[in-house]
Amino acid sequence: MKRLRLTLACAFLVTAWASAQEEFGPKGPVVTMAPAPVITAVQAKPTTVPLSFQVASGYHINSNHPKSEYLIPTALKVEATTDIVVGKIVYPDGQDMSFAFAPDEKLNVYTGDFKVDVVVHPLRSVEPGKYVVRGSLKYQACDNTACYPPKTLQVSFDVRVKKTPPAHAANPAQSPHAHQ
Amino acid sequence: MLFTGIRMSRENGAIGPKNGQLMGLTAPDFELQAIDGSSLKLSHLKGKAVLLNFWATYCEPCKVEMPWFVELQKQYGPQGLQIVGVAMDDAATEDIVKFAKDMGVNYPILLGKEAVSVTYGGVNVLPTTFFLDRNGKVIAREFGLQSRSVFVNHIKEALGQGGTVQAQK
Repeated sequence: MKRLRLTLACAFLVTAWASAQEEFGPKGPVVTMAPAPVITAVQAKPTTVPLSFQVASGYHINSNHPKSEYLIPTALKVEATTDIVVGKIVYPDGQDMSFAFAPDEKLNVYTGDFKVDVVVHPLRSVEPGKYVVRGSLKYQACDNTACYPPKTLQVSFDVRVKKTPPAHAANPAQSPHAHQ
Repeated sequence: MLFTGIRMSRENGAIGPKNGQLMGLTAPDFELQAIDGSSLKLSHLKGKAVLLNFWATYCEPCKVEMPWFVELQKQYGPQGLQIVGVAMDDAATEDIVKFAKDMGVNYPILLGKEAVSVTYGGVNVLPTTFFLDRNGKVIAREFGLQSRSVFVNHIKEALGQGGTVQAQK
């Protein structure tokens, strides 16, 4: 029994050691998205949806405007829907940072938390209700010594569309007071 | 316990051999197109020590190593070293050509394929560099940017000049 335990323990150690050899780089997604708040938008009016992302500690990703043509920009792609027009996507400015692999060079990157704003514009004809908007964030991460292939993070958020409120006493002729 | 270890191991890599398991084995053969339009078959380099560097144009640490490789190819090429770069990105070939030209690369740059990457354990870290001896056996591999002296040691060992090999990660 003791021998079996010893054999199993040795097998585990060898496997764990082999596994540790391969454990270089991120173990999970480098970028995650915080649950997006449900945004209420009014028919025919643009509304901004703030999406919050987090880059795992020790990693950086390129900003939307990296300094080299060879670097892959972080980019959000939102799928077009028939009911809600997706307008401008506003990215934050990146931080100019130097890294150990090139101390004299500055890269424009996102680290930690960053926010991307998406402008949505429900059409006037859209039925009021909740709509799911889907998209994907493409990013390419590095740490202080290595880089990792580009990844795509699936993104989705809800937009609750409300009716356009009735015109508010804009026309005195329609005001109840006008008939008094 | 054992199963947990195996599961952990599987979760951290692609299908195919773990590149740690390639140590001491003949490097998986491949034939890839080079950026100059020719093709290169790894097994045709038998008799030479090979430094096989997986890199990408988007990889800034890879850029740091490339000038070293240019020098090392000049210094150790006459003694039988052949450095081979394998570009693992989706960039257009003309961009890879321009990049290599800008970096003054004096060794073959091949256009990598996922199928080749898988045979090397799924190259998910760039740069990843393998060192093959004159018989085509993998004698060392390094993940991420290393110091120049680490490369020199592995090259000397690959050439049979007895480099001092540092502990593998």
